[in-house]
Amino acid sequence: MADTALKATAVTKYFHDPVTTPVLKNITMEVKKGEFVSIVGKSGCGKSTLLYVLSTMDRDYEGTLEINGVQTTGKSLNDLARIRNESIGFVFQFHYLLPDFTCLKNVMIPGLRRGKLSYKEVEEKAYEKLKMFGVEDQALKKANKLSGGQQQRVAIARGLINEPTIIMGDEPTGNLDSKNTGIVFDLFQKLSKELGQTIITVTHDEDFAKRSDRIIEMADGEIKSHG
Amino acid sequence: MKISVNTEIAVTYLSSRKKQTLIAALGVMFGVSMFIFMQSLMKGTNDYFEKMSFNTTPHIRLYSENKVADAHMLNSYLKDSSVKILANPKQLIQRQGIINPYGIIEQIRKNKQVADITPQVTADVIYTSGSVQLNGTVAGVDIVEEDKMFDIKSDMLSGDFHDLNRVNNSILIGVGLANKLSLHTGDNITVTSGNGSPMVMKVTGIYTTGVKQVDETKSYANIVQAQNLLGKDRSYVTDIKINLKDYNNADVVARDLETLTGYKAEDWVQANSQLKTAFKIRAMILNSVVGVILLVAGFGIYNILNMTIYEKIKEIAILKATGFSGGSVVSIFLQQAIYIGIMGGVIGIFFGLLISYGFSRVYIGGSTPMGGSLNYIPMSFYVPHYIEAIIFGLLTTIAAGYFPARKASRVDPVTIIRG
Repeated sequence: MADTALKATAVTKYFHDPVTTPVLKNITMEVKKGEFVSIVGKSGCGKSTLLYVLSTMDRDYEGTLEINGVQTTGKSLNDLARIRNESIGFVFQFHYLLPDFTCLKNVMIPGLRRGKLSYKEVEEKAYEKLKMFGVEDQALKKANKLSGGQQQRVAIARGLINEPTIIMGDEPTGNLDSKNTGIVFDLFQKLSKELGQTIITVTHDEDFAKRSDRIIEMADGEIKSHG
Repeated sequence: MKISVNTEIAVTYLSSRKKQTLIAALGVMFGVSMFIFMQSLMKGTNDYFEKMSFNTTPHIRLYSENKVADAHMLNSYLKDSSVKILANPKQLIQRQGIINPYGIIEQIRKNKQVADITPQVTADVIYTSGSVQLNGTVAGVDIVEEDKMFDIKSDMLSGDFHDLNRVNNSILIGVGLANKLSLHTGDNITVTSGNGSPMVMKVTGIYTTGVKQVDETKSYANIVQAQNLLGKDRSYVTDIKINLKDYNNADVVARDLETLTGYKAEDWVQANSQLKTAFKIRAMILNSVVGVILLVAGFGIYNILNMTIYEKIKEIAILKATGFSGGSVVSIFLQQAIYIGIMGGVIGIFFGLLISYGFSRVYIGGSTPMGGSLNYIPMSFYVPHYIEAIIFGLLTTIAAGYFPARKASRVDPVTIIRG
């Protein structure tokens, strides 16, 4: 299907330490392009694990994964790194900016890595993204000089620099107050509605989840409801 | 040129930890500068001793070796029909000295490698002055040629060596001999050879080579005087001394000359084998010291990069999550090592030059066992040493940087980010 952004088929994953236990049990799911999906569930139900499998970073699973119609299961590390660079934007719970770099550089780095645009163009684009999140005035500050909310917004801007088709968030608002959560949510919604970017977030925040297009509920490594 | 993003990250990491970067670079600097210093000292000293040895030894000495009887003739006569055992072989009776020396000299002169060539008559003699008798050798030489090869002029303490050609029965004696026999320029000395009659000679000059043993035994006379002393004719020559344009080719040319003339050709390396052994041992000692220094510098870099990686493990995970491949991560950390290496290498080159120059100005006085001409520590300023030093420095840093870099590239982003 042309409008499928991401498709997982019969994904099963085990943790081997200390004993082999299944964390994901035969998960099959599909996310359409431009969809804003929240994955919810209790702690330890495997939702974060699922997200890391979907992100291609975790390769230790059974089953198959397709991103934008291309199967990623079994691809080499370098191919996966390129796919992540080009098609997936990542937002983590704890912002994880590179503290030695300015905010602008932090946003630019994945763009520079991709190497598709010139340095100037990447810089312009990074400014544009920072502006979108209202942190353009912090652009030239070192990342570790910003407040938590500001850092998270910079991190989201970084996730968007390569205009990825899929944005994945692992509790992207977990560290933010309600005001900042609102800002981030509105942005995500805008990205999916106006720019057609697919958003998959893992969240504990029920309000946040309720307002998204679809909620996938997980429990004990299985999907209880596809929403 | 466009700076790659890997380079930019590497440089940012280095510049955000200036102190550690500097310390790592200092380690390399010490390695590189010590390498240069040691190599310069070694080459300087070796060159000095080599030069010293050329004060008395020609690059190649051609002489007639005493041969011991062998079964050669029996073999060609009896073939393989019997086993030949030569009991108690004796030295062959042969004409002493080189046959047709001047013909051979002309032939050798055609070799393009040969710079100087001169015949010599060596006579074992007893010097007598008053009641004191001393053993020694008289070298009958063409003193002008000899001066060209061994720079006699700078060895002269008193007198003029040209007198050998001008004054009849004149002799040039070493300073040790002069002291022992209490002789001065203008005095007479009686010289007796093994198979000639005693000859009274006039001391026209006193020289020193710096080698005690030579100064106490060797004297120079005109080649004709030496032939007279031995009671031999004008074609009697015991040695032919040859200097080459490049003394490093001495062994090859010596083999050629042996086949050409049939006489034994001894090159300076054989003549000074103890010198070569000393060179080798010195090289071994100095190289191992330098090796250890570079190794320590390498461990320093290894350590610092390893610590950086532990500290930055989350950032590495982020880089990988945002699409940096393992190769890029290796590149980021290896580049840091290389920049440390380049920095340390460049400073090390200047520092090495500085200490080499400093030591070359250290006065160590004239009274060394090798003579009076070694006033300052011999240092060579030889460009390839500096290039080698930089290369070794870089190789060390690359080797030291590679392992931490590879470790960084294997960071699994999932385990790090999930905590």
